[in-house]
Amino acid sequence: MSLRTLIRERRSIRKFNDEPVSQEVVMNLLQKADQLCAYNGDVRWRYLYAGTFEERERLADCITAKILGNRLAKITLGTVINPLRKWIIKVPANLIAIVKTDLDPVKHNEAYGTLCRILQNFQLLAWEQRLGMVWITSQPIIQNDVFYNQIGLQEDEQFVALLQIGYFDKAPKGRERTSAECFMTELATK
Amino acid sequence: MKLMDMTIPRHNNHAFEMRPVPKELVLELLNHAVWAPNHKLREPWRFIYIPYSGKPDWFDKKVPAQLVVTLKSDNSTNRQNEDLAAVFCLIQNFKLLAWERRLGVNVTFHEWMYVPEYCRRLGIPDKEKVAAVLDLAFYSDILETSLTTPSTLNVSSLQ
Repeated sequence: MSLRTLIRERRSIRKFNDEPVSQEVVMNLLQKADQLCAYNGDVRWRYLYAGTFEERERLADCITAKILGNRLAKITLGTVINPLRKWIIKVPANLIAIVKTDLDPVKHNEAYGTLCRILQNFQLLAWEQRLGMVWITSQPIIQNDVFYNQIGLQEDEQFVALLQIGYFDKAPKGRERTSAECFMTELATK
Repeated sequence: MKLMDMTIPRHNNHAFEMRPVPKELVLELLNHAVWAPNHKLREPWRFIYIPYSGKPDWFDKKVPAQLVVTLKSDNSTNRQNEDLAAVFCLIQNFKLLAWERRLGVNVTFHEWMYVPEYCRRLGIPDKEKVAAVLDLAFYSDILETSLTTPSTLNVSSLQ
C-alpha cells in the first residue's frame, strides 16, 4: 500500500471484532510513531494503557464514576450505566494520551502539536496492520473533572485523547474531503 | 515502502537547498493530507502559502518557502482542541508525504503567532488563529540521516 493510499484509506473504527490485541504490538507501533515524528526537545507527554480485562473494567469505573457520584444522575441515568460499562469493557485496547501544560503558549502548542502528530503516525501504522481505532475527545462522559481525577490527571496536565483500538471486520465508507485549493491563499510578491 | 520501515531524520539546518518549492506540489500533497481524521468533518484547516518573494520581513530568510497553517477560533475549548488535533494530524500527513518527495517540512512555533497585529499583516482574519508555521525546503543530495535515538515511551497501566 502506498503512503498516499494509507493516508486516504484510514478510517475511524468504532466497531471492533473479538480478535485479541497484543499490548506488545501496540507498544511497537507507538514506539515507531514516536520515532517517525523526528522531534527535537523534551518529551512532555505520557500514556495510560488499558488492555487486560481488569484494566478495562477500571476504565469503565473511571468513566462511570461521574454518574455514580451524583445522586440525581444515578437515578436518571441508572439504566445507562450497565450498557455503558459493557461497551467500554468490550473494546480490546485503550490508549489515553496526556500532555504536560506550559504557561508559555509556544512551548505548550509545540508539545500538544507533537503529541497529536505522534498519534496520527500511530493511527496510520496501526491501519497498515489492519488495526483500527477511533480518537475520542468529544464525549461529555469523558471530558469532565471526575474522569480526570479517576485517571490521575495532574494539575499541570491536559487530557488529549482516548484511543479505542481493535481489529475490525468492516470499515466505514470514507467521506469526501474539500480540495485544499479552497482553503489556501498566497502571500503576494512584495 | 511500508510506513513501518520509513525513517525520517531530525531537522538539520544544513541539509537543505534554497531552490523554490512549487505551490502545485504543496497543493498536491495537501490534497492527500486532508484525509486526516477531523471531528464532524469540520475541516478546520486553512493555509497561507508563502513563496520566497512574498516573505514578510520577520520570517526566517534561510527557508525557501513557508506554509502557515491556521484554523478557526472556537469559544468551546473542547471543539478548539479537537480542531487543533485534526490540524496537526493533517500536518503530520503532509510531512510524511513531503518526505517521499525529498521535501523537508519543519513544524515551527513562534511568539508572533499569538500577536493579532502580526496575524493581520498576513491577512489572517481575527476569527482564525495560527496552528503552526511549516518551513519548506528540499533536502540536498548529500543528506546525512541522523538516526533518531528512540525515546523511552512513558506508558503506565491504568490503575
